[in-house]
Amino acid sequence: MIGSLATGIIIASLVVALIALITTIRNRPVGLVLLVGLGLLEVAVLVQAVIAIVRLISGEEIGQTVVFLGYLATTVVIPIFGAYWGMAERSRWGSGVVTVACLALPALTGRLLQLWQGVG
Amino acid sequence: MDGTAKPTGAKAPERNPDGTGTAAAESVSTGPGRVLVSVYAFFSLAAGARAGWQLVTRFAEAPVAYSLSAFAALVYIILTVALLRGARRTALVACLIELTGVLVVGTFSLFVPEAFPRATVWSTYGSGYLFIPLVLPVLGLYWLLRNRAAR
Repeated sequence: MIGSLATGIIIASLVVALIALITTIRNRPVGLVLLVGLGLLEVAVLVQAVIAIVRLISGEEIGQTVVFLGYLATTVVIPIFGAYWGMAERSRWGSGVVTVACLALPALTGRLLQLWQGVG
Repeated sequence: MDGTAKPTGAKAPERNPDGTGTAAAESVSTGPGRVLVSVYAFFSLAAGARAGWQLVTRFAEAPVAYSLSAFAALVYIILTVALLRGARRTALVACLIELTGVLVVGTFSLFVPEAFPRATVWSTYGSGYLFIPLVLPVLGLYWLLRNRAAR
């Protein structure tokens, strides 16, 4: 896994979370901007997952491979879940779901980085 | 008290004319409840994955702490499913267990730290998770009770 990509994902996700939070406060449903944001995040986490798996297969050693893969799979699911569950309700609470999803993603990505570097 | 949340009714995918089942599920898993479900779903996944790994590989190191982690994960999973299916009473009970758990374990981990050599989700009131484990059951209880009063 590359640190810069993970850092980029964390920052981008926090930005989308902020937009989603503002959308929630403004009492608007999920719009195009948030969907595009989630789409870009999904592409980024997929790229990250592919890179990580390739490097694991080619012999990179990390401590807790199973947990790492579990978290990696979760990062791939989160943007999709956020879009689906957030679009299911055309109200501010749909945007609230996207906010939660985009706060969960940086937390998980941070844990992924820790696991990759062998901390914890 | 809990006539709307029939376990059998909640299973039916079709909307029932008598207001049970899907309608009961909608009343707790829509609106703000939708956000609550997504937080619980995330905690189920994160805590569940971690606890499963700990139980399988390092159970002997800290059996109490790791059993508690697994128990906490189980409570989160039950809550996610109960909210989704509109099983109001199950969700209420699980919320109370969650609140009790975080308060008891949080207090123990502060005053008897040697009882928990390894951190759990509920250690020091969930400070390792931004205190979300402490706030979540309070929000959950508030939502479930307020929602019931409105019906």
